[in-house]
Amino acid sequence: MTIEGSDINVDMRVRLGTLEFRNPVVTASGTFASGREYADFVDLSRLGAVVTKGVSLNAWPGNPSPRIAETASGMLNSIGLQNPGVEAFCEKDLPWLAQYDVPVIVNVSGHSVAEYVAVAARLEQDLTVDALEVNISCPNVDEGGMAFGTTCVAAAEVTRAVRAVTVKPLIVKLSPNVTDITEIARAVEAEGADAVSLINTLLGMAIDTDTWRPKLARGVGGLSGPAIKPVAVRMVWQVASAVSIPIIGMGGIMTAEDAVEFMLAGASAVAVGTGNFVDPTTTMRVVDGLEAYCRGRGISAVKDLIGAVKF
Amino acid sequence: MSMDASTERKLLEHARVVSNERVAEGVGLIVLESPRVAHAVKPGQFVHLRIEQGASFLLRRPFSIHRVVGDRLQILYQVLGEGTRALAGKERGAEMDLIGPLGTGWFVPEGTAHALLVAGGLGAAPLGMLVEALALRGIAVTVAQGAPTTERLVARELFEATARRVEISTDDGSAGERGFVTALVERLIAADRPDVVYVCGPEAMTRIVARQALAAGVACQVSLERLMACGIGACLSCVVATVDGQKRACVDGPAFDAADVLWDASEIPPKH
Repeated sequence: MTIEGSDINVDMRVRLGTLEFRNPVVTASGTFASGREYADFVDLSRLGAVVTKGVSLNAWPGNPSPRIAETASGMLNSIGLQNPGVEAFCEKDLPWLAQYDVPVIVNVSGHSVAEYVAVAARLEQDLTVDALEVNISCPNVDEGGMAFGTTCVAAAEVTRAVRAVTVKPLIVKLSPNVTDITEIARAVEAEGADAVSLINTLLGMAIDTDTWRPKLARGVGGLSGPAIKPVAVRMVWQVASAVSIPIIGMGGIMTAEDAVEFMLAGASAVAVGTGNFVDPTTTMRVVDGLEAYCRGRGISAVKDLIGAVKF
Repeated sequence: MSMDASTERKLLEHARVVSNERVAEGVGLIVLESPRVAHAVKPGQFVHLRIEQGASFLLRRPFSIHRVVGDRLQILYQVLGEGTRALAGKERGAEMDLIGPLGTGWFVPEGTAHALLVAGGLGAAPLGMLVEALALRGIAVTVAQGAPTTERLVARELFEATARRVEISTDDGSAGERGFVTALVERLIAADRPDVVYVCGPEAMTRIVARQALAAGVACQVSLERLMACGIGACLSCVVATVDGQKRACVDGPAFDAADVLWDASEIPPKH
């Protein structure tokens, strides 16, 4: 900490369109459930926002087990968006979240455009929901999921359809499993997305050399954790140069310095995902560390980091 | 007595290694100073241990609590992969953080007078606290313990000192009866009619014992091992198929009523 910077109060607020977060740190969908499981470790009111586990129209059972495999500096998962469906979510999880002073962003999943629309329309009626994050990038479901996030036409179609039924801020979560992520980002921006979040997991595979069988029952799954961070930072930087809507950056964030990297690359907010599994207090450490980082460098507003990478 | 822990607060504690020794080939016993968790943990619960920070393997590893002595947790572990190899290398004074107590733990039905505990190999681990708790309550305990060899009968001394009766089997006949523990269990259930059977061991063994108990009309609880990431109910990695839908081994288990488990839809866990 420098002497000149030691006294300043850091303004930690960031803005994503009409959404204002008290700080840039949010949870990555699918790693935080709806927050209840973390209540012993995290003060939800100190988060920038809670992004919930993906919800679909009806209950989804998820994939067969094993659903995870550890890999070097990361993990593969093929949970398969197991969830109780949007009605159960609205009845059980949203009222619990409503007791906290924190923006709630609900991750929306579907097997078809009609299903995304139906889920979004149901959530539109609930005042606890501050924004939607449309998941067009899950690699672990056979129909829908990532299929909607890997072509511009499909990504645009889902975004347009959901945009038509919601006035809430609309975030689209992008897949890294594409040749050029900036094309997809531009396509969803053109259809009215208010922000993009990236990256979802990278499609991967691991094989047990004793049994010669895949380590995941489904064969393939999504790679997350520090192993993917450089890919994610690169993609955030590319997308930041390609669109004018804000970005929520994620992929292997474990520390405040990781978060700083994403912000310098162009992210307005950052999400902690796999880091929640490793240490349930990771979000709190990143919030505190980000503030200390700014204070130590005499940076009076965290938003000054956004896109400030130097060449 | 319900040992349900779901309403209890989960703790994050920095534990210090008091001792770490080999007790059999590929099996270690580590003792951790972890006062807050030690005073809260109940039989059958587990801790999620962060063995290394900044290592190439990221995730915590779940371990049953074998025994608690004062402020100290005893954990029995088998060296199976990168994580447990690193654990075996931990020396006195090393620090690791852990989350606990986790899971619901064993449930003791009202009116239990006689319990049969079935331990297969390292399955002895979560039965240590249980045998002590049952004995303290005056419940007669029989232990059926099986292992490949005499050396691998971990916790045998504890069982012999605490249970009313201990029956042993080994694959090689080096102690007790030669063969699998399931043969002992068949006879013990028929002869003694226990009120409840508690099982932990390789899942193939667990399934057979569950079938034997349920066929005899005896209540049975099984402790199931699943790969898990968070350990606190969020990631949905460790699901077990039950008559009430998918349950999470980390918060709805790891002890389950054997009658509720849909065995055919459940994974036999891989090594890790």
